[in-house]
Amino acid sequence: MLRKTFLAACLAGLLAVTACSDGGGDSGGGSTLTYLTFETPHLTSTFWDNSIKAAQAEAPGVQINRITAPSTDRDAYAKQLQSSGQFPDLLQSITPSNFVGAGLLKPYDKAWVDANFLLPQGNALKGEVYIPPTNSQVVPEVFYNKELFTKAGIGAPPKNWAEFLDVCAKLKAAGITPFTLGGGDPFAASMPLVGIFSADVLGKNPNWLKDRYADKVKFSDANVVTAVEKYRTLVSNGYFDKGALGVKYADSITQFTGGKAAMYPMGSWFLGSVPKENADNFGAFPWPTDDGSVVIPFVVGGSMAISAKTKDPDGATKFAQAWSLNPANLKALIEGDGAFPMLKGKTLADYNVTVTKVFEDSYAYVTEDNTKVNAIGWATNDDALPPGLNDQFYAASQALFTSADVKGEMEKLDQAWKTATN
Amino acid sequence: MRSRGRTRLIVAIVVTLVFIAPIYLMLVNAFKTGDQIRANPVAPPLPPTLENLTTALTRPDNLIPLGLRNSLIVVVCSVALLIPLGSAFSFYISRRRGRVRAVILAALAAGLMIPPQVILLPTIQILTWLGLDHSYPGLILSNLGGGYLSFAVFVYVGFMRSVPDEIVQAARMDGAGGLRIWWQIVMPLVRPATATVAIFLSLWIWNDFLNPLFILGPLQGQTITTGLYLTIGQYSVDYGQLFGIMFLAGVLPVIGYLTVQKQFIAGLTAGSTK
Amino acid sequence: MFSRKSRADGGLALLAALALGLYLIFLVLPLLLSLRSSFTNENPLRATNEFIGLRNYREMASDVQLRDSLVFTLTLAVGVTLAANALGVAFAILLNRTHLSYRVMRTLAFLPQVLSGVIVGFVWQTILTQDGLLNNVLTSVGLLDEPYPWLGSPRAALVSIGVVLTWVLSGFTTVVYLAALQSVPIELNDMATMDGVRGTQRFRKVTWPMIAPGTTISVTISLITVLKLYDIIAVLTGGGPANSTQSTALYIVRLAFTSDRLGYASAVAMLLLALSAVVALAVTGALRRREVTL
Repeated sequence: MLRKTFLAACLAGLLAVTACSDGGGDSGGGSTLTYLTFETPHLTSTFWDNSIKAAQAEAPGVQINRITAPSTDRDAYAKQLQSSGQFPDLLQSITPSNFVGAGLLKPYDKAWVDANFLLPQGNALKGEVYIPPTNSQVVPEVFYNKELFTKAGIGAPPKNWAEFLDVCAKLKAAGITPFTLGGGDPFAASMPLVGIFSADVLGKNPNWLKDRYADKVKFSDANVVTAVEKYRTLVSNGYFDKGALGVKYADSITQFTGGKAAMYPMGSWFLGSVPKENADNFGAFPWPTDDGSVVIPFVVGGSMAISAKTKDPDGATKFAQAWSLNPANLKALIEGDGAFPMLKGKTLADYNVTVTKVFEDSYAYVTEDNTKVNAIGWATNDDALPPGLNDQFYAASQALFTSADVKGEMEKLDQAWKTATN
Repeated sequence: MRSRGRTRLIVAIVVTLVFIAPIYLMLVNAFKTGDQIRANPVAPPLPPTLENLTTALTRPDNLIPLGLRNSLIVVVCSVALLIPLGSAFSFYISRRRGRVRAVILAALAAGLMIPPQVILLPTIQILTWLGLDHSYPGLILSNLGGGYLSFAVFVYVGFMRSVPDEIVQAARMDGAGGLRIWWQIVMPLVRPATATVAIFLSLWIWNDFLNPLFILGPLQGQTITTGLYLTIGQYSVDYGQLFGIMFLAGVLPVIGYLTVQKQFIAGLTAGSTK
Repeated sequence: MFSRKSRADGGLALLAALALGLYLIFLVLPLLLSLRSSFTNENPLRATNEFIGLRNYREMASDVQLRDSLVFTLTLAVGVTLAANALGVAFAILLNRTHLSYRVMRTLAFLPQVLSGVIVGFVWQTILTQDGLLNNVLTSVGLLDEPYPWLGSPRAALVSIGVVLTWVLSGFTTVVYLAALQSVPIELNDMATMDGVRGTQRFRKVTWPMIAPGTTISVTISLITVLKLYDIIAVLTGGGPANSTQSTALYIVRLAFTSDRLGYASAVAMLLLALSAVVALAVTGALRRREVTL
């Protein structure tokens, strides 16, 4: 009895093994390309499926097998796929510098990029464009709750660091937590530090990262340490919730929009999460500098990179170009992800979008003439950090929430830089 | 004496309830709306809603049905092959004496201790050489050769040593070959071992995370465990959905355990005293 | 006679050889490849793969992250092993009755072992995050004035992970100790009762000798589980805050898949392997000694 069932089970097992090995073959005609995407509350799987369909119409014969990254950290997942031998053909919004060293990505045709985008070299690596620069972001802006500002007797958003500290003090005195921080997710924990670093260090020396690569400057230099000490000031003055490192990113959004704190330093994608019903209650200002000069930590992002090893480079390119130029895709990115469009010859009106006042104000920082620096840890061009350094930077941000040893943490970053680049 | 018995029972019940509180939360909140969960996470689901479950089951990406199917394929194939391999190997080795056996068993013991992270990447390389990377046969093959085989062999060797030599000798006198003795005589005698191996391996392979995540990868579809991990990312604030999906992902092994729990515990007991 | 026997045994030998072959290919060979890689600077994203001798091993000596991860892993391993076994013994003694309600409770006690680490991680995360269920309950009954960061400070996160792991493992240890308790004749217990042996003395003289054999397996499994652990921590804290809950296993995966340093990751993996081997040897030694006495 047992024997029979057992034999049957074995047979079933073997059959299943052979059955499985039959699956996954090409279903004839055209090529099947794998496409790495990620999902957020606004970039849902329906969005991706529709956008893929639209692009397929212009790239006939291309079949798409979509993969979704487990978190918004597509780079980590792309690397994971690469080292386990399944690098996708198309990769949405990755950091090309991670993959160019091993020759994994195929650059786009320069003439096509120049013809279609406002900042064709916005995310170029050594002059080559691996991701069409379709959109840009400011990382971070400081979002604020106007009602809470009024309640604390603050008339206007702060213009410089001294006013910023003053605003924090007033909020605290009025019993309002000045900042929300999603410290449980490392990237979110780093937002204030990205702001300070970009404003104070990169604002004074926009070539800081190039100099860091050339070993001319260090994280442990006095000017960097002084800047980072400002973050400690905010923490030790009690301007963050004590348990902020236990707050997940998703929860930090609801905390801020729910009015639990007055300010929220976050990437401009937060614009997509500003509640529609009282959008006018929210404003944004750039992270303040000492002298009040405006420094915008800027990132030119974009659509998808193409694998150098794809079996159908022509189909992949056609698909990627169609996707990148489709205004409907940008509409979703603008409305849902707060992306600032960078297509040539188009204004916001051309995308048929409804945006909030705070979006328009933020977008003005992009279109206006001001000091733009490559946001540290977020830039995908030549100023991108070496592999693994992002994690270290995030860890340092979390560590400095509880430890006052700024110099020590900065030395750790220098050490990590050395092991990552030697 | 009687009142002491009652005190003991009450203490035991209280302790057990505290202990299974997280599972209780998982169970009740799967049948509550997000608002009900936030309002009072520990309240019973009154009135219960099936919305979380139906939403989870009708997701456009078919996460749950596909995940369950894929997990089932991997578990059934792996266990169905591990049992004959493990038991045949154990029978063969348990009839051998001396140094060789000790060495081989020690080498197999190592298999139980090796952290899977250590051999993850080379395993993928080997499967790539074999042309089986990122496929179900590849994942199943790597299951066959790893620590699971060690576990099967350990359980079987313990039981097979207790099979009297005379029975084997007598069968041999009757002209039965090794294969036949193993399958027709020994296997029926070690049924409890087979039950233990089948139950534990099914559970472990079902719950396995690292191997399906890296060896199978996303292109062939997720197992229920990796699907769960990849879906409930940092954006999940919808507690109702979260608990609905977790309930569906966890309910099968729990039902399985409750049905065979006698053998389950017996197996564990045998394993720990053998 | 001889030839017939070996022919008849051929099928069985073939099957056994197949099993051994699979083990060699999918366990021993990967180990050797990993060992080889630990002497290289293999980095798939920089296309380097040269032998660099012992440089990776020398680097480990001054790697602060590695040191922290080892301290964390060992603290967790020892703490969880002690807690899970103490709890297992206590639970086993408490539940060692034959009445139906006790049998039901015994069944329930094992449940945490049945759920996958991913589910365990997510369930506990919804409980322990800042806006989670535990803070929700504690603040609403007034036990806490403001939410406590259960996962938000290095020390609290260590303790939280320890509690979750103890929860998972004590289901296992309880069953093991119950089995040991039940393998001892009831008369022994009754005799002790009649002799008036009570309390701690009874535990030491009667109960402990009975359950002592169970400690080998449950201590080993606890230690090894913590050393191997990946999924629960990956889900619960992802190694944070500030890498304070980054176990060595997590660090290996991060080195390999985020920093692209395969060679160095392999070297750290060898260290973890050596650590596990020490545990394994200690335990097989103990097992063999017991085998002699049986």
